[in-house]
Amino acid sequence: MSEPLLVLDKVTKNYGAIEALKGISFSIGRGEVVALLGDNGAGKSTLVKIISGGLEPTSGRMLFEGKEFLARSPAEAKAAGIETVYQDLSLCTNVDVVANFFMGREITRKVLGIPVLDERAMEAVVGKALASAGTRIPSLRTNVEHLSGGQRQAIELNRFVHWGGKLVLLDEPFAALGVEQTRRGLDMIRQVASQGIGVVIITHIMQQAFQVADRIVVIRQGVVAGDVARNKTSPDAVINMITGETLAGAGPAG
Amino acid sequence: MNPRTRHALEFVLDNLVWFMLLLVLVVFSLFIPNYFQLGIFANIIEASSVLGVMSIGLALVIIAGHMDLSVESVAALSAMAVGILFCSSGIGLGVQLHPQWLMVPVSLLLALAVGGLIGAFNGYLVVRVKMSAFIITLASYIWVRGLVLVISGGRSAQDLAPAIRWFGIQRLIGLPLTAWIAVACFVVFSLIMAKTPFGRHLVMIGGNETATFRAGIRVNRNLVIAFVLAGAIAGLAGWLLAIRTSGATANLGIGLLFNAFAAVVIGGVSLKGGVGTLPGVYAGVLLLSAINTAINLMGLPANFTQVIHGLLVLAAVLLDAFKQTIRQRLA
Repeated sequence: MSEPLLVLDKVTKNYGAIEALKGISFSIGRGEVVALLGDNGAGKSTLVKIISGGLEPTSGRMLFEGKEFLARSPAEAKAAGIETVYQDLSLCTNVDVVANFFMGREITRKVLGIPVLDERAMEAVVGKALASAGTRIPSLRTNVEHLSGGQRQAIELNRFVHWGGKLVLLDEPFAALGVEQTRRGLDMIRQVASQGIGVVIITHIMQQAFQVADRIVVIRQGVVAGDVARNKTSPDAVINMITGETLAGAGPAG
Repeated sequence: MNPRTRHALEFVLDNLVWFMLLLVLVVFSLFIPNYFQLGIFANIIEASSVLGVMSIGLALVIIAGHMDLSVESVAALSAMAVGILFCSSGIGLGVQLHPQWLMVPVSLLLALAVGGLIGAFNGYLVVRVKMSAFIITLASYIWVRGLVLVISGGRSAQDLAPAIRWFGIQRLIGLPLTAWIAVACFVVFSLIMAKTPFGRHLVMIGGNETATFRAGIRVNRNLVIAFVLAGAIAGLAGWLLAIRTSGATANLGIGLLFNAFAAVVIGGVSLKGGVGTLPGVYAGVLLLSAINTAINLMGLPANFTQVIHGLLVLAAVLLDAFKQTIRQRLA
């Protein structure tokens, strides 16, 4: 890893007088899985929103692929190659699976110069993507409102795997998944990372972090409280970092 | 339940309002003397053209999860603008263009522009200032009607230029051209909503605005376009209204808004946004018109119309809730 994919340099975010992030610095390499841990309110979701274009930082800077980077909207982040799976699902339940999968990136063909949705082509792509991930959904044409929580989350996960990009942010992606689906989700993450895509996963479950991550970054009260390689730490040490009993390995790595 | 019955049931649920329309037409034809005639059916379509066009714009904005109460006043203002310029008596200036037919595109563009501008104003405030569309368009509903009164001085314009009136007189397969314009609008906008990315995005914005924003859809741009379209379509409705009444009065079209609302709701559009199709709305419009015609034929006092419309809206909402329950069973 010569040049990191994304570098955060003293990123802060204030909400009025409240400092949600007090200066976060860490980096993510290509093909690396970073687990972002921290207690409730530590600032993990705020950080994800800043990277994905949902919020603008108060100060600090980010480098994406070595270049100064600031996403003013999710569309900009997406254009740069950053995909995000949010904690509260980002699905439109009033339309079908295919429409959700292609949200904002519909396949069209020109009829008299007017872009027309190519439903058949889209359905074929979705069918293939879901089948290869082993997700079973009775009909791709059912509205998402009729699907279970697990099925919905599976659609989101398959969506990011399919679109890939360069960096993927996952904010508690497995909250509604069963044991088997979670295992498959973790496999998906490794598979995505092996294609050279950087992955940031926020989770509360220590076991998942240790199963999937290369590096573990702990955020506490708006600062990085720990940044360690997975194989050089233990769950107990990480819990201590989260609760603030020790500051083992504090500060950015390297 | 086997897939076949399930499919059939879903088809009926999706097109329920069309079945209701059919039922109503059959019942009226059986029990009301003289109802079953081609002329009556043509009249139902003809009488619903202004309301139909207006309902399209309203439906677009409601499907996108917002609201446009100003469509009625916007139609009146467009009609008044056309009336003042191209009417020859009353407050009409009697502007003449040569050749005569040039007045058609000019008046039409004027009506669309007036509507589009007010739509853009509404859309800008909703998107940029993040005010509630309900309040903004309620304000527009009031001040635009006020503007109609101001520019007309409360008086009316009569005798629209014959070149423009031609659209209301010339018939094609038994229907005046104005009715065909309404039908064409429904076809075009139904296709836009069902087949293009823009239509798909409006539906999804109505369903979950946050999700569409995160997915990189330009939500604000789409919403402003929807408001401009609603305004321009209301302008077109005003143009048709001016043709139908051969001029414009200061209180032209009062009450249309609530009929449009009724048609949209009966047509299966949810006021919560994200649900509904334009063919359904057209069926709703035709249903209202069919009932009006029945009331006229039976010689009931016209005042009954409003009572029946109100009950019909209630029935539509109840029916919608009932459909939801059935769908949940199906899933």
